Amino acid sequence: MAVDTMTPPPALADERAPARHIKAGAVYAALGLFLVVMAMAVIGADRTTTITFDQTLTDARWALPTVGAVTAFGAITAAAGAWMLLGLPQRWYKIGTAAGATAFVLGLLTWAYSQTGAVFRAESILAGALFLSLPYLFGALSGVVCERSGVINIGIEGQFLMGAFTGVLVANITGNVYAGMVGAMIAGSLSTMLLALLATKYQVNQVVVGVILNLLALGFTSFMYDQLKKAEGLNSAFSIPTLTWGPLAEIPVIGPVLFQQKILVYIGLALVFAVWFLLYRTRWGLRTRAVGEHPAAADSMGVNVNRLRFWNVTAAGLLSGFGGAWFTIANSLAFSKNMTAGLGFVALAVMIVGRWNPLGVLIGALIFGFTTQVARDLDASGGAVVPGEFLQMLPYVVTLVVVAGLIGKAKAPAADGVPYNPGDK
Amino acid sequence: MSTDTKTPTADQPDAGRAPDEKPNFMRLFGRYLAEANSVMVTVYSLLLAFFIGAILLIVSDEYVRSTYTYFFARPQDALSASWYLVRDSYLALFEGAILNLNTLDRFAAGNADFGDILRPLSETLTYATPLIFTGLAVGLAFRAGLFNIGAQGQMIFGMLGALIIGFSLNLPAVLHLPLAIIAGALAGAAFGAIPGVLKATTGAHEVISSIMLNNIAAYFLVWAIGTGFLHSETKTDLVTKPVDESAIMPKLLGTLSGSLRVNLALLIGIAAAVFTWWLLSKSTFGFRIRAVGFNEHASATAGMRIGSTYTTTMAVAGGLAGLAGAALSLGVGAGGITTNTALEYGFDGITVALLGRANPAGIVAAALLFGALKAGALSAQPDVPVDISTLLQAIIVLFIAAPALVKAILHLRSPRGGLVTLEAKGW
Repeated sequence: MAVDTMTPPPALADERAPARHIKAGAVYAALGLFLVVMAMAVIGADRTTTITFDQTLTDARWALPTVGAVTAFGAITAAAGAWMLLGLPQRWYKIGTAAGATAFVLGLLTWAYSQTGAVFRAESILAGALFLSLPYLFGALSGVVCERSGVINIGIEGQFLMGAFTGVLVANITGNVYAGMVGAMIAGSLSTMLLALLATKYQVNQVVVGVILNLLALGFTSFMYDQLKKAEGLNSAFSIPTLTWGPLAEIPVIGPVLFQQKILVYIGLALVFAVWFLLYRTRWGLRTRAVGEHPAAADSMGVNVNRLRFWNVTAAGLLSGFGGAWFTIANSLAFSKNMTAGLGFVALAVMIVGRWNPLGVLIGALIFGFTTQVARDLDASGGAVVPGEFLQMLPYVVTLVVVAGLIGKAKAPAADGVPYNPGDK
Repeated sequence: MSTDTKTPTADQPDAGRAPDEKPNFMRLFGRYLAEANSVMVTVYSLLLAFFIGAILLIVSDEYVRSTYTYFFARPQDALSASWYLVRDSYLALFEGAILNLNTLDRFAAGNADFGDILRPLSETLTYATPLIFTGLAVGLAFRAGLFNIGAQGQMIFGMLGALIIGFSLNLPAVLHLPLAIIAGALAGAAFGAIPGVLKATTGAHEVISSIMLNNIAAYFLVWAIGTGFLHSETKTDLVTKPVDESAIMPKLLGTLSGSLRVNLALLIGIAAAVFTWWLLSKSTFGFRIRAVGFNEHASATAGMRIGSTYTTTMAVAGGLAGLAGAALSLGVGAGGITTNTALEYGFDGITVALLGRANPAGIVAAALLFGALKAGALSAQPDVPVDISTLLQAIIVLFIAAPALVKAILHLRSPRGGLVTLEAKGW
């Protein structure tokens, strides 16, 4: 019909036209102004923030005047907010968001590290942040695989506990730390297999069962811990070596962060790209995403929805179980009761903040790992402006803001958590 | 809660029976026992949980395991060791939770007073009290189709609210105690309303926001206890000021023995259960809750405001969880609360609500059972691992949440109208 050619494709028009982002703009403007006001009113004019490269260039120290730096970062944040309020082209929106958020975080950091005794040891902190982001990474990747297949995995915390416990136990029995890691993966996989069975065959409420599986893992590992500690030598700490990549490890910043880490770091980074490739570039990935978005359509194309879901969820447990091994083996610790301390829920948050996408998960995990590392570091140096507890709340607050859609909208796969019964299409 | 639509056909109760054969009581009772109706599923869940618990006890005990290494030479060793281990463990739980037979003997010999006999029961009721509130908080939200996983955080704010009123005002007990309790409920309600508001205005799923709020509350508690306003003036460790004498929950059996900790909060809990029952089944608000829980789209079409129902339901649920917090900071934690006072009562409320099938009377019964498990496990440690209570609790509710699993394991028949199971929903 002739009428159809008259209407321009709406998507193209929206892409170029400047759009206002009132909510996000207001938030950024307020945060930026907050920093500027704090810099003017609260921070002493004589304060400096010291940055060092503590592992490669041990002599170098940079001292920034805190007031000036915080004011500058606050101004950048506020400018990003003002730009969003006035309206900006859609493709610049992400850049504006990222620049505003980065400037705000840098401003807070500059302020936090201006206290006496606090030195921003850039290399240790960044390397530590990458290491601390690993449990979030493994857990969230496991969540991505499950939820992309349409099964909610709220039991990541439980799989962590099973992995942490079994990893040490198997390592002690076999005397081989790598066998322990495999054991952790199998333990995680067994617990998601139960979830998979209940979700596909018995079609239960996956959120409720996930919560119960967390409790079951907590009860089981704590019970076994008490029972087995009566026996000698079943819960001794094992450790794995740190890999140093020769001269590469000497490069400032990049060296200590990337080329002087434990093997789990490299496995984690490789897995991000592997899961991304599998999900978006293979037949299995297409089917998995189809099963998570529209199982009936996938079924009519000949995919066995519940079988695919079952095996995907079972396989995802390998990832979260391996994440459990991080708590004990990668940290050279013995197992203790409830040692995962809710990090499985942070992993869930990372999955949401990363928008159910492996690459987003990597960014989310790094941010949360960085926050945790900074909170610990500031607590240790004792001179935090903001109480450490508030810094530790930050990942949760960020997640709340994201799920509430204040900064972008997180949208789960359409059939996430909805059981599929081939009979009632 | 909804039922699935699979109706039994081949195994109808009357199928394949001669028409003149009258069903007698024993036959009907036998059929009832072999059927996966909600009563029998509950019974079998408990039995299966204790059975699995027994197996885990046997497998994880070093001595008993060693007797199994020569099982084929002398099986009686392994079997009797297993039997005594399981019997002693469960007996220890029973003695810590209900009645200690040793104390009974000592009482008969005149070496113990009546209060000593009641102590295990008093401990059970003490641990059950917060569970009643948090169970109601989760159960009420279930009826509106909401999964309130945030009872822990709501309870923490309730604890703080009651504590602040409890030590800062100077009033006679008739005013002070009720005011402190109300403050706890209001603090919990305000915190509980947040996920409701977020769901109503932005569509954020209450489970995600509640998990985040739980963690925020936990860190907030650590920070708050350390502040000068709340921190104890006499102690250096992380503990708050004690509440005034006039705001402490009176002990119910204090005249018998000072060590019987069960207090007024138990009666308030039962009153709260009655109130929740009234709210759900007799009030307009409760009708709206149930209607939205059954089908939010139909309710919206019928002119109900879904968003405000979510918000108010979560606020009332938060208020109930806040009462749990008040019960703690004015009761067992009256000497000052620590980060440990809240234990896991909020999370346990989920299991209580599931076992009680989101029904107030069932919730009180489930709270008593899990309170007994907790009291028993705490008194039986270290002979029995203390976490056996968590383990048993988790296995029980796993079966309750997945009745099809019980049906499959025990080869039960489908009841008329299908299995009672939780409705599965997405994010």
